[in-house]
Amino acid sequence: MSDSVDRRRLLILGVALSGLAGKVLAQGGSASPARALSSARLEPLRHVDAGVLNIAYYEAGPADGPVAILLHGFPYDIHCYVDVAPQLAAKGCRVIVPYLRGFGATRFRDPVTLRSGEQAALGADVTALMDALGITRAVLAGHNWGGRAACVAAALWPDRCRGLVTVNSYLIQDLARAMVPISPEYEIALWYEYYFQIERGRAGLAANRHEIARMLWEEWSPDWDFDDATFDRTAGAHDNPDFVDVVIHSYRHRFGLAAGDPQYADLQRRLAPLPAISVPSVTLDGDSDGVLPASDGRASAAKFTGRRVHRVVPGAGHNVPQEAPEAFAAAVMELVKL
Amino acid sequence: MTEKAQAASLVRAPSSKRLEPLHQADAGVLSIAYFEAGPADGPAVMLMHGFPYDIHSYVDVAPQLAAQGCRVIVPYLRGYGPTKFRDRATPRSGEQASIGADMMALMDALGIKRAVFAGYDWGGRAACVGAALWPERCIGLVSVNSYLIQDIAKAMVPARPDREVPLWYQYYFQLERGRAGLAANRRGIARILWQQWSPNWQFDDACFERTAVAHDNPDYVDVVIHSYRHRFGLAEGDPQYAELQRRLAALPPITVPTITLDGAGDGVALASDGSASAPRFSGRRVHRVIPRAGHNLPQEEPEAFAAAVMELIRA
Repeated sequence: MSDSVDRRRLLILGVALSGLAGKVLAQGGSASPARALSSARLEPLRHVDAGVLNIAYYEAGPADGPVAILLHGFPYDIHCYVDVAPQLAAKGCRVIVPYLRGFGATRFRDPVTLRSGEQAALGADVTALMDALGITRAVLAGHNWGGRAACVAAALWPDRCRGLVTVNSYLIQDLARAMVPISPEYEIALWYEYYFQIERGRAGLAANRHEIARMLWEEWSPDWDFDDATFDRTAGAHDNPDFVDVVIHSYRHRFGLAAGDPQYADLQRRLAPLPAISVPSVTLDGDSDGVLPASDGRASAAKFTGRRVHRVVPGAGHNVPQEAPEAFAAAVMELVKL
Repeated sequence: MTEKAQAASLVRAPSSKRLEPLHQADAGVLSIAYFEAGPADGPAVMLMHGFPYDIHSYVDVAPQLAAQGCRVIVPYLRGYGPTKFRDRATPRSGEQASIGADMMALMDALGIKRAVFAGYDWGGRAACVGAALWPERCIGLVSVNSYLIQDIAKAMVPARPDREVPLWYQYYFQLERGRAGLAANRRGIARILWQQWSPNWQFDDACFERTAVAHDNPDYVDVVIHSYRHRFGLAEGDPQYAELQRRLAALPPITVPTITLDGAGDGVALASDGSASAPRFSGRRVHRVIPRAGHNLPQEEPEAFAAAVMELIRA
């Protein structure tokens, strides 16, 4: 039985088991490289008005260095990059790590703006931040929602993107096919997405956001042995007053079950045909990713019309930048040096 | 395996055994396919299966009860096996009132005045509905997971996240993706649920397939999807059951003698001490936790299930 089949079976049988098995499988690996302490925070934060948001972000590295924007996912926060950011800064990059809409200290500037979590909004937020900071071009790098934001921006504004690092390859959502089922053992992993479709799921997320996040971390990164302090450092970012609205909207919109914010309608129209990504790209898969199984990258090859390298990162789950920061930072540096 | 478990396993029907022959009776909106065993003048027992199962949950219980003198009736629920809707226009509802009403319609069609109602999962719900609304027709109730009448008014109150995860299929079925997934992968989904809900049960492929063919019923997907949407208040009920559902909304007590069983290994409805549901049982009620058993308790532990039925008959 292969590892992936083994993990899938364990997921079917229960969440607790899968984490346990992952730790057993992880034993015997080489010693880990140095990691920031769980108490280390990406501080100080800066704040800038950018489009509809006032974005909180961390910045490191020389102001005149090549820019890398590091975009976190759900249910995570900027500390996915707690090791990547200093590694890139030390190599001369200007590193920008923003809190996405609905996370941490990022706020909507207007109380009436729809708390949309749609893909076009996440991408538009990235370029709004670049505009606000006077950044013309950057490497865009991310995973999960942040990888989607990076893909959206790279596809729609290639002139602003000198390269793309994305975990799980091409992440622009094909809403027209969102109702096509996949194999049931893979549908189970999306339980939270289905849960969030009904008001019970919204109430459950509001009441139990930290417990749900911890379960997803364990399911998605079975080999990652994070401690309570590491989890708590990130979970605080989910107490943002817009977190529940943005998350619920994101997961309903991607199934076509929530209307988008009209201000992004034109962008979403351009995303619907699944535009190709032409900028140089490095795509990474974690070989123990518990929600999106590692691939050989071929299925998404047609979506990358420029230079594209695909890599499977050993021992990494879904949160590749935090679990395997050297591999993630190396991918960014490859694009910076092009 | 202990000696006792080995001895018990020896009396299990082989996976090739089918509850046959089937009978067919026009009953209310359905033509119900059912298995019958035992003396026609014996005390009647209605054995009601759940989702995603079929009458073979009772492949061992039925002969045990028949041998003890019961008239055993094991119907395929609406949407399962050869049970058919008589009218193409009847809504393919899976709401709780309809499956309770179906059981009563079958009793009427067969001239059965009173019976023990016994079931688990959807079938336990049908039994609870029948016992609550028509206690004069019910000798006694055997229900796995205690009181199963749904409190739809509270359906949007979340449970602890680790208890929401096992309900993934219920949330999946709210979307058209879930309907398409069930239609395309009904066996795959059923097998996963069997594994999740009965982690200690070693069923073989023949055992699974014997039941899975009952899910090829042309109404299966419609009935299942409607059932899981209605319980969250997200699908309209069939108007013909509106009055029954109105009565069920008050969560009526069950007054008949009752034995409730929980499987200690149940992976979807965790075993309890029965105290939370105690106020719902106003008559004599005994609660038992069956070691090792999962959610499909009658098929996994037929002796315990059959013994509960016989206790109510002898009371």
